[in-house]
Amino acid sequence: MTMSKKVLIIDDEIDVVAYLRAVLEDHGFECLVARSAESGLEVIIEQRPDLICLDIMMPGESGISLYLKLCGNKSLCDIPVFFISGMVKEEEFDFRNLVPNRDIPRPRRYIEKPIDVLSFIRMVDKEIGSVRPSNEAITKAKHHE
Amino acid sequence: MSNAEDKKKGKLGEWLYKGLFEQVPFNIAVIDREFNIVEANKNFDSYFGKWKNKKCYEVYKKLDSPCVGCNAILTFQDGRVRVRDDTGIDQHGNESHYVVHIAPLRKSVRGKVDYIVEMSRDIVETKNLQMQYQLLFERVPCYVTIIDRNYKIVRANENFREKFGDVHGKQCYEVYKKRKNRCPNCPAAKTFKDGQVHHSNQVGVKKSGEKAHYMLTTSPLSRDIDNVPHVIEISVDITETKRLEREVIEAERLAAVGQTVAGLAHSIKNLLMGLEGGMYIVGRGLKANKKEMITEGWEMLERNLTKTTSLVRDFLSFAKGRLPELDMVDPNELVHEIIDLYGTIAETSGVRLIAKTKKTVKRAPLDRKGIHTCLTNLVSNAIDACQMSKRKGCEVVVGVDDKQGVLTFTVSDNGMGMDYDIKKKLFTTFFTTKGGQGTGLGLLTTRKIVKEHGGKITVDSSQIKGSCFKMSFPRKNLKSLFTHDSLVE
Repeated sequence: MTMSKKVLIIDDEIDVVAYLRAVLEDHGFECLVARSAESGLEVIIEQRPDLICLDIMMPGESGISLYLKLCGNKSLCDIPVFFISGMVKEEEFDFRNLVPNRDIPRPRRYIEKPIDVLSFIRMVDKEIGSVRPSNEAITKAKHHE
Repeated sequence: MSNAEDKKKGKLGEWLYKGLFEQVPFNIAVIDREFNIVEANKNFDSYFGKWKNKKCYEVYKKLDSPCVGCNAILTFQDGRVRVRDDTGIDQHGNESHYVVHIAPLRKSVRGKVDYIVEMSRDIVETKNLQMQYQLLFERVPCYVTIIDRNYKIVRANENFREKFGDVHGKQCYEVYKKRKNRCPNCPAAKTFKDGQVHHSNQVGVKKSGEKAHYMLTTSPLSRDIDNVPHVIEISVDITETKRLEREVIEAERLAAVGQTVAGLAHSIKNLLMGLEGGMYIVGRGLKANKKEMITEGWEMLERNLTKTTSLVRDFLSFAKGRLPELDMVDPNELVHEIIDLYGTIAETSGVRLIAKTKKTVKRAPLDRKGIHTCLTNLVSNAIDACQMSKRKGCEVVVGVDDKQGVLTFTVSDNGMGMDYDIKKKLFTTFFTTKGGQGTGLGLLTTRKIVKEHGGKITVDSSQIKGSCFKMSFPRKNLKSLFTHDSLVE
């Protein structure tokens, strides 16, 4: 029996956490949850997730700040990060402007809220696993389109 | 009188006349009836050159025959003194301008005029200056007019004539503004009255019919402030500047609309995420027939609908462009109202809410609802900052002060302060640190209301001390917002 992959969701918004958790669990991923960047870092160190879904604007430390900490830590820098935020990608999420130097690698993905379930799961799958999307997710995604 | 004395006096007179003739600062020439120059002083000699055995017109103008309209002939005829401006050619061949004074010389008072004496003085410098002034008057890139006490334009420069048309003999108000009578608050009238310089912004109508915006300065054309016969009006055309100003305001407005729409879209996306999440979980619960899952999803839907309502409400309150409705309000009373309103919420959040009012604070003309909204936003933010902080025994102080003509409300907390990044974004549309709990419009609305009162809002915050928001309202601005009639003491 193979262990399911662990995805850490870091978002201050309870509804976003519940939604992402439900979607990921439905597709066979194990979910970890943190409601702030500070507690997120503790979970990362303790549990070492396979993927981090990270919000940007949160009370206290921002998602960008946590991302910079991970990039600066040799043992954590290889964990893939998906930013999930309400910022419009082209206009607001100017990554190079948000980080202090050009050596910081871009995050693996930037996903705009609200998420498209099917493509979100495909991205997660491509990044960390081989879990196929369930039929119901496909139907729902088609319905969305 | 002895003969010797007579001789002595005669000699003195001769010296005197000789000295005067040579040293007076004029060119003097004596001319006979045939236009021959019979005597001239050294000044004349050095100005016009050799004159002996020459006719006056040969020397003055280098002509072969008497000048047309010769004034000397007239003086020979009627014996009267004449003065005129004239032009000639000096000994170097340059054109010369001079004023000439022509007087008769005769043996007896009623006798025939045998000679005339012409006293001329060079005015080339004066003429040059006059020409420069004329050029300056005509070409200066302003409108320049000179009006008399009847408001009639007596002179207008080229620029003015070009834009406002033929102005000769017309009244200034007729030409500048196409009016039939004098303008109210006429700045020229003030200058006529007090002899002082006055400035004002005016709107006139050009001959093409288009509006002209200009900055007008009226100055007395006299050194005597009690008697101003003429006023000079100098205006700078600012029509183009006004147009650019309007364009900038329009561009800023469009940019603000763009920013607002982007921010609104951002908030809506978050709400959609919540609503879609709710639907997903309800669907999941129905599929699995799990009541608790359906309940969870349903609660998500409810929460996000409530948030939608508050977003719309806040947005409308922000977008509403209205003038403050002013009333004489007791600022201390306002502070107590807010403390009462938030007392329970603060207590349940474990935050002490303290009022710092002062008896010296006097009533002020304020929009009660508006200031209430501002204080509500600031106090609710302060309580949130306390809750986000790990510190125990947090407190929020709502204070009011009234000194040096400035009414100040302060809301300070010792909760979680802000770092530089957050402070920078504080007053931008839809920025929130409260995740889904805030719309990001509270501080923006607060600032808008404060500005509408002619006041300003400042913030001092650090992550160690907490934050202090200060709304200051200069009383003179508050007062000027209202007419006295609208004040109810």
